[in-house]
Amino acid sequence: MVQPGKRKGSKHGTLLAVSKFGTIIGLVIMFLAFSIAVPTIFPTFRNMVNIANQATLSAIISGGLTVALIIGEMDLSIANVASFSGVLVTGLMVQSGLPVWLSVVIVIAIAACIGIVNGLIITKLKVNSVVATLGTGSIVIGLNYAYAQGVPIASGLPEPFKQIAFGKFLGIPNNIAIMAAVLLVLWIFLNYTEWGIQLKATGGNASAARLSGIRVDRIKILGMSIASVCAAITGILLASLIGSGTSGAADGYLMPAFAAVFLGSATLRDGDFHIVGTLVGVFFIGIGFNGLAIFGVPTFVQYYFRGGILILAVGLSSVARVLAAK
Amino acid sequence: MVDNPPKPGDLNASSRTSGNPFLRITGLNKSFGGVQALKDVDLEVYPGEVHGLIGSNGAGKSTLIKILSGDIQKDSGDIFLEGERLAIHRPQDAYRLGFSFIHQELNLIPKFSIIENLSLGFRKPTRFGLIDWKAVQRNAAQVVERVGLTHPLDTPVEELSVADQWLVSIAHALMREIRVISMDEPTASLSSEESERLFKVIHDLTTEGVAVLYVSHRLDEILSLCDGISVFKDGLCVLTTDRQHATKKSLVEAIVGGQVSDGDLTPLTDIDARPVVLETKGLSRGEKVVNVSLSLHRGEVLGLGGLVGSGRTELANLLFGIDRPDSGEILLEGRAFAPRSPSEAIKRGIGLVPEERRSQGLILKDSVDFNVSLTNLKSLRIRKYIFLLNRRLSAKITNAAIKRLQIKTPSIQCPVVNLSGGNQQKVVIGKWLSRELKVFILDEPSRGVDVGARAEIHAKIRELAAEGTGIIVISSDNEELPRVCDTVMVMSEGRVVGTLKGKEITKEAILYKSFEHPALERG
Repeated sequence: MVQPGKRKGSKHGTLLAVSKFGTIIGLVIMFLAFSIAVPTIFPTFRNMVNIANQATLSAIISGGLTVALIIGEMDLSIANVASFSGVLVTGLMVQSGLPVWLSVVIVIAIAACIGIVNGLIITKLKVNSVVATLGTGSIVIGLNYAYAQGVPIASGLPEPFKQIAFGKFLGIPNNIAIMAAVLLVLWIFLNYTEWGIQLKATGGNASAARLSGIRVDRIKILGMSIASVCAAITGILLASLIGSGTSGAADGYLMPAFAAVFLGSATLRDGDFHIVGTLVGVFFIGIGFNGLAIFGVPTFVQYYFRGGILILAVGLSSVARVLAAK
Repeated sequence: MVDNPPKPGDLNASSRTSGNPFLRITGLNKSFGGVQALKDVDLEVYPGEVHGLIGSNGAGKSTLIKILSGDIQKDSGDIFLEGERLAIHRPQDAYRLGFSFIHQELNLIPKFSIIENLSLGFRKPTRFGLIDWKAVQRNAAQVVERVGLTHPLDTPVEELSVADQWLVSIAHALMREIRVISMDEPTASLSSEESERLFKVIHDLTTEGVAVLYVSHRLDEILSLCDGISVFKDGLCVLTTDRQHATKKSLVEAIVGGQVSDGDLTPLTDIDARPVVLETKGLSRGEKVVNVSLSLHRGEVLGLGGLVGSGRTELANLLFGIDRPDSGEILLEGRAFAPRSPSEAIKRGIGLVPEERRSQGLILKDSVDFNVSLTNLKSLRIRKYIFLLNRRLSAKITNAAIKRLQIKTPSIQCPVVNLSGGNQQKVVIGKWLSRELKVFILDEPSRGVDVGARAEIHAKIRELAAEGTGIIVISSDNEELPRVCDTVMVMSEGRVVGTLKGKEITKEAILYKSFEHPALERG
C-alpha cells in the first residue's frame, strides 16, 4: 500500500520546514533589525516592559480565540466582549460599589454566558459562527453603551483594582504572571484533559467525534465560552492598566488576535491551532507594531501592516495545512 | 460480422446484431496504483441497443464509464465509434462526440425551473441583449415532448419526483445531438410504475438510433430492458450475453464468479440456546427501515446483507442512537433501550465501526493514540475527580490494541492519515477494544482493505464473538458474510426479506435474496 505520508517530496519537506520555523526565524530577524535600526529606543528594558504589557493582553484574548478556532468556529465578538467587560467591571465597582473580587467574578460569569449563547446559536440554531458572533458582538456593543452611555468610568477606581495590572507577584509584573497562568491552564487543559481531547476531536472531525460518544454540541458551547472568558480577562486587565472603563478600549484587539492565532498555527505544526504557536504569533505582531511605532511610521502604514500580517498569517496557515495533506 | 472472436462465455453474440458495432471497445486496461480496475475489457454496443452493465460494487463498471466520459484516462486499449478510433482526453472531448452521462446523483440545480435546467450550458436566444425565455421554451418544447414531461416548464425541479427529475436530465441530454447515453442506476429510487415510464422513454431513444449504456443492480430490470448485457467482476468483463440467452441464475453466477468458497468457519449450533443481548420488535423509520425484528444472541455474529441502500446502515443508526425510530422498540438484555445519542448507546455497551472510516471513523490528522483514546476518555482520568488524563495508561491501551490487531504503524504518535486503509480500519476497531461491549456493529468492515488485513479483521470479529459480544456485520461484499456470520439477514428496501442460518449462508443465497422486491411480493 502506498503511504501518502512517506511520499512527501523533499520540496514539500523544505517548504514545510520553512513555514514551521518561519515565524520564529522572522521574529528573531525582526528583533535584531529593530535593535540595529533604533538601538537607543527599541532594545531597552523600558521598551521590553512596554512590549510585554501589550503582548500579555493580546496573548490572553488570542489564547481564548485559539480554543474557538480549534473547535472549528470563528469568534468575532471577543473584542466587543473585552471592551464590555472593562466597562462593566469598573462600573460595578464605582457605580454599584461592589468589592473588586466580586465585580471580577460577575464580569467573568457574564462573559461565560455570552459564550454559551454564542455556542447555542451555533449548535442549536445552526447559524454559521461568523454570522452568529458578528450578531452577538453587535448586541454586546449595545449592552456596553446601554450600561455606560459611552462615558468612560475613570474616577473612583479602588486601589486594589489598579494593582491587578501594576502589582507584582514574586517579582514578576502581575499582568505577565496572569498571562502565564492563563496560557498554562489553557495548555494543560487542551493537552492533558478529556475536554481538551474532545475539543480537538470535535474540530478535527465532528462526525467521527460524535460517533465516538463525544457530545459535540456541548463541547462547542464549552469552547465558545472559553473564548469569551479569556476576552473578559483581557478586558478587565486593560481597564486596570489604563485606569478606566472605556467603551471601545479593546475593540482593536480583534484583528491582531486572529493574525496571531493563524501565524501560530503555522508555527511548529502543520496548520493546527495551538497555544505555544499563538504565543509566538502574539510576540511577532507585538514587536512588529512596537517597532513600527518607534520608527514613527504614519498611521496608515500601521494599518497596512495589520491587514497584511492577517492575510499573510492565514495564508501561511492554509499553505501549511495543504502541504501537510499532500 | 463480428470482428473479435466470441469469448467462451459469449454464447451467441451475433444473434442480436445486424451490422457493425456502433461503439466498440477493445483491450481496455486501467490500473490505480497497482490495483487493476479494468483488465483487457472488450465491449460492443450496437446501434439502437440498450446495453446493460452489471457487477458488484468495485467490479469496474464505473471505471469504464469514467474512461468514456473523459474523467479518467485509460492505460491502454481502443475505443471506436462507428469504426472511427476516438481520443477522449477530457470531458469536453466526450461531450463533443455526443456522449452523455447521467449519474445517479443527478446534475440538476434544485432551485432552478425545468426550463432553466434544460437550457443550462447552452447558448440561449436573446432579444435586445436579454435572454428570450419564450424562444428558449420553443426550442425545448420538442425535447420535453419526447421524454413525456407534463409539468409546466417553470416548475422548480426540486418540486418534481425523482422519476421526473430523471426525465429532465434525459431531456437536458437530448437538447443536443447525442449518440451514446449512459445512465447509472436510474431506478434506484423509483417505484415500479415510474420505472416503466422511464423504460418507455429509453426505448423511444433507441428507436432513434441512440445507444444506451445502462448500469443497474436490478437483474429483473436488466433482463427485460437490455438487449446486450456485460457482466463485470474484478475488472474483467466475465460474461457478454444478450436477453435471449441470459437468465437471472447465469447472471448471478457470473457476478459472484461461480466457485463457492466455504471458508473454514464452523457456525455456532447452539445460538438459540444462548441469551439474547439485543432484540428489536417492528422497528421502523420512514421508508428506509420498515418493520424490522431481529434478535442477536451472546457470541453470535449476525450479518446484514443486501444491496447498497437497502436500509442496513439506517438500521444500525437506530441501534446506535444516531437516529430515532418512528415506531417499534429495541431491547438490550431484555430491558427497553431507546438511545438518543451515540454517547448514550456507548454507555450502554454498544460500539459502532461506521461505514465511512475516513469521514466518520477517524480524526485523520491526529495520532493513533489520540484516536484510540476518544472512546475511553472517562477511564483515562488520573483519579475519579481529577480530570487530568493518564497519558501512560492511554499509551498502554493503544499499544495493546496495536498488538492485538497487528496494526502496522511506526509509533502510537503517528497521524492516522499516514497509515494504509487496512491499518486505518484496524484503528477504528481498536477504539472499541478496551470497552466492555455487549453489541458491536461493524458497517462494511473490510471495504477498501487489502486481502491480508481483511482476513485479520475477520479473525478478530470471530474472536470478539467468542468472548461473548454480540456482533452485527453489515456488508455489501457477499463473500464476506459467509466467512464470518452465524446468521445472515438479507434486507431489501428497508425490510428483512430472508434469514439464512449456518450452512445456508452462501453468497449466491444472499445475492438471490438481495434482488427480491418485498414491495412487489406483498402487493
